[in-house]
Amino acid sequence: MSMIALAVSSLRHRKSTFVATFLSLFLGGTIVMAFAAMFDTGTADGVDSTTSEALVTMASVVGGWGLIIVAFAVVSTLTMSVRQRSSEMALLKNVGATPGQVSRLIVGETLAVAFAAALLAVAPAALTGKILLEILQETGQAGEQVGYVFGPVALSVGFAVTVLGAATAATVAARRTSRMRARDAVAAAALEQSGMSRKRKIAAWVFIALGVDLGVVTATVFNGEGVDAMQTAGQASIWFAIGLALLSPALLRMVTNVVGALLSRLGAGGWMATQNMRQRVHQMGGALMPIILFTGIATGTLYMQSIENAAAPVANTVTTAEEAQTIETLNLVVVGMIALFAAVMVINTLVSATTYRRQEFGQQRLAGSTPQQVLRMVGAEGAVLASAGVLFGSIASIATVIPYSIARTDSVLPDVTVLLYVGIVSAAALLTLASSLGAARKTISTPAVEAVAV
Amino acid sequence: MADHYRSEPIEALRLESVDKVYGTEDNPVRALDSVTVGLAPGSFTAIMGPSGSGKSTFLQCAAGLDQPTRGRVFVDGAELTGESETALTKFRRQRIGFVFQQFNLMPTLTVYQNVTLPLRMAGKRSDRDRTTAMLRQVGLADRMGHRPSELSGGQQQRAAIARALVTDPRVIFADEPTGALDTKSARDVLQLLRSSVDHLGQTVVMVTHDPVAASYADSVMFLADGRSAGTLDKPTAETVAERMTHLGDEVHMQDASADAGRKVVGL
Repeated sequence: MSMIALAVSSLRHRKSTFVATFLSLFLGGTIVMAFAAMFDTGTADGVDSTTSEALVTMASVVGGWGLIIVAFAVVSTLTMSVRQRSSEMALLKNVGATPGQVSRLIVGETLAVAFAAALLAVAPAALTGKILLEILQETGQAGEQVGYVFGPVALSVGFAVTVLGAATAATVAARRTSRMRARDAVAAAALEQSGMSRKRKIAAWVFIALGVDLGVVTATVFNGEGVDAMQTAGQASIWFAIGLALLSPALLRMVTNVVGALLSRLGAGGWMATQNMRQRVHQMGGALMPIILFTGIATGTLYMQSIENAAAPVANTVTTAEEAQTIETLNLVVVGMIALFAAVMVINTLVSATTYRRQEFGQQRLAGSTPQQVLRMVGAEGAVLASAGVLFGSIASIATVIPYSIARTDSVLPDVTVLLYVGIVSAAALLTLASSLGAARKTISTPAVEAVAV
Repeated sequence: MADHYRSEPIEALRLESVDKVYGTEDNPVRALDSVTVGLAPGSFTAIMGPSGSGKSTFLQCAAGLDQPTRGRVFVDGAELTGESETALTKFRRQRIGFVFQQFNLMPTLTVYQNVTLPLRMAGKRSDRDRTTAMLRQVGLADRMGHRPSELSGGQQQRAAIARALVTDPRVIFADEPTGALDTKSARDVLQLLRSSVDHLGQTVVMVTHDPVAASYADSVMFLADGRSAGTLDKPTAETVAERMTHLGDEVHMQDASADAGRKVVGL
């Protein structure tokens, strides 16, 4: 009971730390509820079977993917916020809180945030669902007479996913911190020392293998099978990207080793950036994840669709114009939803991580760094993150693009515009740099002496 | 006032009628009230006063970390002018070294990298032998590759002193440098500051509330209610504690001008 009271007062006093968690849960809840509403609408009485099937398919496919991505995002946001607060947790343990109490504090706080997020997501989700149905009706995939229902499935699935998902994620995130002995926790808070867990590495390689496998299946089993190849192709880059995202600390270390020497020559800012990234691959890796997901999934799905649009219809498969239309809408909705979510995650993670470095920026300025040097450092870090994210995201997208190109056109490289890719890469780079530099600029507007005073 | 300092060649630090006012126009809080000070090169001065007396504000205005509302500040004869934050940073890193209560070392850098950071930021080369010698002097020769979180508080503070010394500044400002340390580490740190004055000719200005720490200085300057409340030369922990106890009374009794303060010291 006392832990709950503490959790509530902790929430009240640390608003900014919870904004990131709240945003990812709110957006996740909105997406999940909006698509679950398609299930409510599709299964209502008097809905024709074609419409019903289209709506239920959309609800389960998009909603299912949304669920995975939301869970992933929430875990990574929570891990970051727990990491940021590890010294506070260490302090609690030093004054005698048991590991169980610390865990309950974290889970309790998260539940409060998740419940608020789910509650506030209801209205925007209802609206999003309505707009979604209107789009489906305009493109002729849902009957004109179908009435919109935002009902029990939307609400129950939405709340269950948001609140239970957050609680599970919080439990996982809290376990590591709360298990640490008090003395170690204080030291670890200053400097991260642990590597990636074995479980995480195994999960990463399983997802990557799954992505490659789906790619191979697309290029072989579904070769010449027309649009059916999308069933495996579309997922390939999503799984591959999730696998790479899980490996992001190791990937970032690799990239830093390669570009570090060069970056260090670009003045004190570049040198500091290199040192920071070497010492904080986990923290920075958290920001790399959504960039990989954004680039990988957007590139994979959009190029798959543009290969499909350019490909000749396959004689022995019958794909009606309506079906093709439904598939394209579905793809665009999936990619749009994931891209939006990943973009919010990029902003969320970078703004929160950068704002958290207020004290560090202050210390650096007291050691003789000009505001410009701090910004150059943050810019250099952002440039490395964006490049690494784009590089590994592009690698992930290959798992979809090349196999699909082989399956549909029998050529390894698709004959489609490169402009789409340039657009995705620019968006990733712009999001990364704008979020971190914007947050850094705002953070260093506090006088250095004030910033270092805790 | 401070006429007798005029004969000195160039003062390491000079504040002329410095005011610092916080708060709103309707409800101004006068943190510094026409403070005038001149400190000779190679001097070690402790700034003391009760909480809220303006010690921290004094240090921040004198060190170019904050802008005085009125008055002028000179470091080694060069005026601190409130241009851009960048200009102030460059001014500071050329002339001023800092030692803080919370050390303020960069967590991702090793001791060696932390010590040479100010030079790196100024685009200067660091001399490996000189830096190593300095770290040996502060007793951290075998800790150069460690990161701050791997060091004790005393070791971190000694690293911070090495960092302050590395640029060969005109003045070192120390803000409660022993506030977070145990007695033994505090003594080491104070002796280091003392020896930087005695052997390197450094000028040190130290804000403290600890009479023992103040006793390491050549003189103590007292502040009360934002005003100079006299000085004490060759302080001992006992004389400082004695003065601190009566500081409140004196301020109320006197006109609170620095001259009046000096007379009280003279008694």
